[in-house]
Amino acid sequence: MSNRSLLAVTAAAALLGCIFAAVSTSDFMQHLDRQVHAIHCSFIPGAGKELGESGCKAVMMSPYSSYLRESVWGGVPVSLWALATFAFLFARAATLLWRSAESPPSRAETRFLFVATLLPVVMSVIYGFLSVTQVGQTCKVCVGIYVSSAAVCVAALLAHRSNESVDEPTPLSRYLPWFAQGVAFVVVLSLTYLIAAPKADPKKALSGCGALVSAEDPANVMLTLGSGEEPAIEVLDPLCPSCKAFDARLAASAFKRRLALKAVLFPLDPTCNWMVTEALHPGACAMSEALLCAAGLGATHDDDAALDVLRWAFKQQDKLRELAAKDEPAMRAKIEAQFPKVKGCLGSAQVKSKLTKSLRWAVSNAIPVLTPQLFVGNARLCDEDTDLGLEYTLAKMLSPKGKAARAAVKAPAPPRPAIVPVAPPPVAKPKPAALPFPTEPPAEEPAAPSDEAAQ
Amino acid sequence: MNDDAKGFTVLGVALLLPLILVAVWASAAGRRYAAASAAESDPSKQAAIAAVSDDAYCTPALKAIIRRVAGACGLLEGGGGRGCQPMQAQKVAALSGPDFNAMFRPLSKRAHILQFDPMKTDLDDDARKMVEKAWSDQRGASFFFVVSRASPDGAADYNEGLSRDRAKSVLEHLQAKFKDDDLKNQVGLLWLGEEYAQLSEEFCTWSRSRSGACTPTDINRSAFVAWIDCAI
Repeated sequence: MSNRSLLAVTAAAALLGCIFAAVSTSDFMQHLDRQVHAIHCSFIPGAGKELGESGCKAVMMSPYSSYLRESVWGGVPVSLWALATFAFLFARAATLLWRSAESPPSRAETRFLFVATLLPVVMSVIYGFLSVTQVGQTCKVCVGIYVSSAAVCVAALLAHRSNESVDEPTPLSRYLPWFAQGVAFVVVLSLTYLIAAPKADPKKALSGCGALVSAEDPANVMLTLGSGEEPAIEVLDPLCPSCKAFDARLAASAFKRRLALKAVLFPLDPTCNWMVTEALHPGACAMSEALLCAAGLGATHDDDAALDVLRWAFKQQDKLRELAAKDEPAMRAKIEAQFPKVKGCLGSAQVKSKLTKSLRWAVSNAIPVLTPQLFVGNARLCDEDTDLGLEYTLAKMLSPKGKAARAAVKAPAPPRPAIVPVAPPPVAKPKPAALPFPTEPPAEEPAAPSDEAAQ
Repeated sequence: MNDDAKGFTVLGVALLLPLILVAVWASAAGRRYAAASAAESDPSKQAAIAAVSDDAYCTPALKAIIRRVAGACGLLEGGGGRGCQPMQAQKVAALSGPDFNAMFRPLSKRAHILQFDPMKTDLDDDARKMVEKAWSDQRGASFFFVVSRASPDGAADYNEGLSRDRAKSVLEHLQAKFKDDDLKNQVGLLWLGEEYAQLSEEFCTWSRSRSGACTPTDINRSAFVAWIDCAI
C-alpha cells in the first residue's frame, strides 16, 4: 500500500473517531437541558438511540465521563476532547495527503502524526479499563472510539514506515507548532463548550429545590447508609433502577464520604403505597419489608445487615421485579432463602406497620412521590441535579456558602393536621310547655338487673 | 494554493466544524433548559405530593362524625390527651341508626368485625390476630375507628358499659402489641351500647373474627374496626 493510501486510511479512521466522539458529545450535551433523553448506543455511528438503561447511559452518567464536574455543571465531557483530538488527527493526515507531489510528507511529519495517535490509544486503554472495572458496563459508542483509536494509530504507524523521504535530524522546536495546533483544538473546543453550555441556577445549586418540614425520625424508620458529618436523607425504593444508578453515582463521588446518609424507604408499589396506582416496581414493598426486618424493628438497628439486603436487591433488581410481578409469594420465599434472618418478620403486622410509617414520613414532609430524592440537611437536591450535575451541586451545597444558603431556607408549614375539630351537631331545644303545671320529680328507676348474658 | 495554505485550510475547517456543532448543541440545550425552567411552575408537569388517602366514600357526614369522635377522644391537638368521653350517639352522628351504618358500607373490604362472647370484653385469639392485621394495614388512612356495640339483651346502661369496655379492650391490645406512639393520635373509640345503629344481618358477610353461625345478636356483640381513608 502506498504512503498516500495509508495516509488516506489514517484520515478515514480519524474521521470515524470524530463521528463516534461527536455522537457521544452530542448525547452528553443534550442532557445539559437537565431532562431525560434517549442516547445512542450502537457500533453504527448515530444508530441505536434508546431511552432506557444501557451501557452507554451508565458510562455517560458515571463520574468518569467528564472532568471539572465540581466547578462546571456536568463537567467538560471527555468525548469533547476526543472529538478535538480526532479532528486534529484528521486535519494532520488530510494536510499530508493533500500535499503536492513535489513536497511529500517528511519523516518528522509522519512521525509526529504517529506519536499523536498514541494519545487516543492510551486514553482508550484507560477508559476501557475504567469502564469494565469501575462502571461495570461497556458502551458501544465508546468501543467505536477505541476501535477508531487503534485503527488511526496502526494506519499512522504504517504510513510512517512506508514514508520513503530521507530521515533528516529534526530539532524539537520543529514539532512544537504542530503540538500547539493540537492543544489549540482542545482548548478552543473546551472554551466554546464552557462559554456556550447553559449555566446552573446559582440559587438552586446552593439551597436546592424545596425543604423538609422536619428531618426528625420519630418512628425510627430510617436506615443508616453513611457516617460522614453532613446530615443527609435519601428517599429510595430498593427495586427502582434510578435509585440503583443514583446510588452508584453517589458511591463513586467523593462527597458520599462527607454525608451522614440515612435512607427512608418509599417503595413505588401499590401493594403498600397508596400514593401510586400502578406497580412501577413490583415487589418493592416486600423488599422494603426485608430491609426493615434485617435492620430490626427495635430501637437499635443492624444497619450493616440492612445494607447487605439493599446491595443484593440492587444487584437482583430485574429478576426480583419480574418474579414479583408473576408470583410475589415466590419472591418473598426467595428473599427468606437468601436472608434467613428475616423469616417470621417478613410479612408480619409489625413490619407492615413500620413500612407504613416510613411512607407516612414522606406524607408528613409533603415530598414528591418519586424516587430517588436526596435531602442535604433539610434542603432537597433538585431532580435535575441527581445525575450529571450531582458533583457540581453537592460541591455547592456542602460549601460554606451552601450551608448558609440552606440554613436560610424556611421549612415549609406542616401539612394540614390529619383531623381537624368540628362542632357537634345542634341539638334542638324542647319547646316550653304552653301551660306549665307543677310536677313531681319521677321516681328513680331501679338498677338494671339483667344484661345480654341473660339469654 | 500552496501547501501551507492547504494545511491551514484543512486545519481551519477541521476545527470550525466541531466548534459549530458544539455551539449549536449547547445553544439548543440552553433553549430547552430555559423552556423547562419556565414550565416548572405548571402543576400538571409536577410530581404528585405525598398525602394521606381521601377515598370517594369520605362524605362530609362521615368526616364530621370522625372529627367529633376524635374530639371526644382527645385526639385533636390541644384536646387534653387520650381518653374518650361518653357521648350520646346521636350527638355524634345526628343521623338515624340505619343511615349511620349505611355510611360504613363502602368499607366492606377494609373493615373487620371482632366478635365477643356474651357479657365478655376480652378478645379471643382470632380477634387479636384480626385487629393486629387491621392495624398493620393502615396505608394512607389517618384514623382507626373502633365502633363497639352490645346486643340488645339486658339493660341499656349495662350494655353501654359493656360496649365501652369492648372498645377499650381493642385499644389496650393494640397498645400492648405495637407500643406505637401514633395510637394515641389515631384511634378513636365510639361505643354505641344497644341503643343506636345496631348492625343488621347483612354485616355477617363482612370480615369477622368468627366463622359459622351469625345472628343479629352475635354480630352486635362486637367491635367494628377499620382504618378510614379520609383526609379529615
